[in-house]
Amino acid sequence: MKRGFALLETIVVITFLSVSLLLLYGTFSNMISNSKRNLLYDDASNIYKVYYIKEYLGLDNFKVNGDIEEIDCDGLVSGCNKLLDSFEVENMYITYYDLKNYDSDLYSSSFNNYVDSLSNKGDYNYRLIVEFSDSSYASIGLVGGNYE
Amino acid sequence: MNKRGVTILELLISISLISVVILLLLKLIFSLDNINNSKEYASEDEIARTTIIKNIESDFLKLKLMGVRVKSLDKKVIITFNYLDRAKDLIIEEKSLSYDNQEYKLNSVNATYNLCPSFSYKELDKDYYLVNLNIEVLIDGKSNTKRDDIDLFYVDLISDNVSYPRDLECSK
Repeated sequence: MKRGFALLETIVVITFLSVSLLLLYGTFSNMISNSKRNLLYDDASNIYKVYYIKEYLGLDNFKVNGDIEEIDCDGLVSGCNKLLDSFEVENMYITYYDLKNYDSDLYSSSFNNYVDSLSNKGDYNYRLIVEFSDSSYASIGLVGGNYE
Repeated sequence: MNKRGVTILELLISISLISVVILLLLKLIFSLDNINNSKEYASEDEIARTTIIKNIESDFLKLKLMGVRVKSLDKKVIITFNYLDRAKDLIIEEKSLSYDNQEYKLNSVNATYNLCPSFSYKELDKDYYLVNLNIEVLIDGKSNTKRDDIDLFYVDLISDNVSYPRDLECSK
C-alpha cells in the first residue's frame, strides 16, 4: 500500500485552487469594471452643468413627443450652441422620469446602461439626460411645465 | 509494489509547484493591497471634490455670484467670490483647498492642485454670461484626466454690477 500523497493528487489540488482563484478573479474584475463605469455617471460638476442647461434653455416647459426625445438647439435661445460647446455636450435627451419600456436598439449601449442605472424615486414627470464628450452622463428631474 | 511515503522526485515537484502558486498568490495580495490603498485615497479625494463643488455651486446660486477676484501668492492662490451681500475666499494650496472655514486635503500621494487655475468669462447672448473656473489636479506635476478637476460654472444675467477678470495671471 502506498502512503503519503502522489504527484497526481498534488496536481488535482493545484488545479482546484487555480479554478477557484480564476472564478474569484472573474467576480472581482466584474465589480471593478462596474465601479469604473459608475464613475462616468452623475459627476457633481456635470449635474450643475445639466442644471444650468435646464435653466438657460428653459427646458421645464419643453414639449416632449414620445418616451424619449433627443433635443438640439433648433428653436431654442440664441446662446444655446455656445453653452453646449462650453459644457462639451454631445447629446441631450428628455425622457419620461419612470422610463421602463423603450426601444433600446435605437440608442447607444452607453445610454441604455445609464438609463438602467437610474433610480425612479422622486416626484418628477420627466428627466433631462445629458451625454458629454467624454462619454459621461448626468441627469436631473424636471417638474412642472406644459408637457404633451 | 509496496512503496511507502513519497519519493524525493515527487516531493521536489510538489514543493516547486506549491511554491509557484504561493509566489503568485503573494504577488496578487501585494498588488491588491497597493490598489486598495490608492483607491482609498482616491475615493476620499473624490468625496472631498464632490463636497467642494456642491458647497461652492450652492453658494453661487443661493448667494448670487457677482464677481471674482484672484490673488496669486508664493505657494497659494486666493480666489475671492463676491456675492450679493458678502464675500468668501477659496484658498488653493498644493495639497489642499479651503473654502468657508473648511479645509479639504488631497490624500493621493502623487496628486497636487495646479496653482495656476484657469478662468473664462463669455457672453452667451446679449443677456446672459457664463463663467468657468477650473482648478486642475496634477499627477506627478503633469496634467491628467479632467475628471478629477474642480470645475465650477455659473450662468447669470449680464449687469453693470458684476465684475470678473478677463484672464488670470499667476506666478508659476
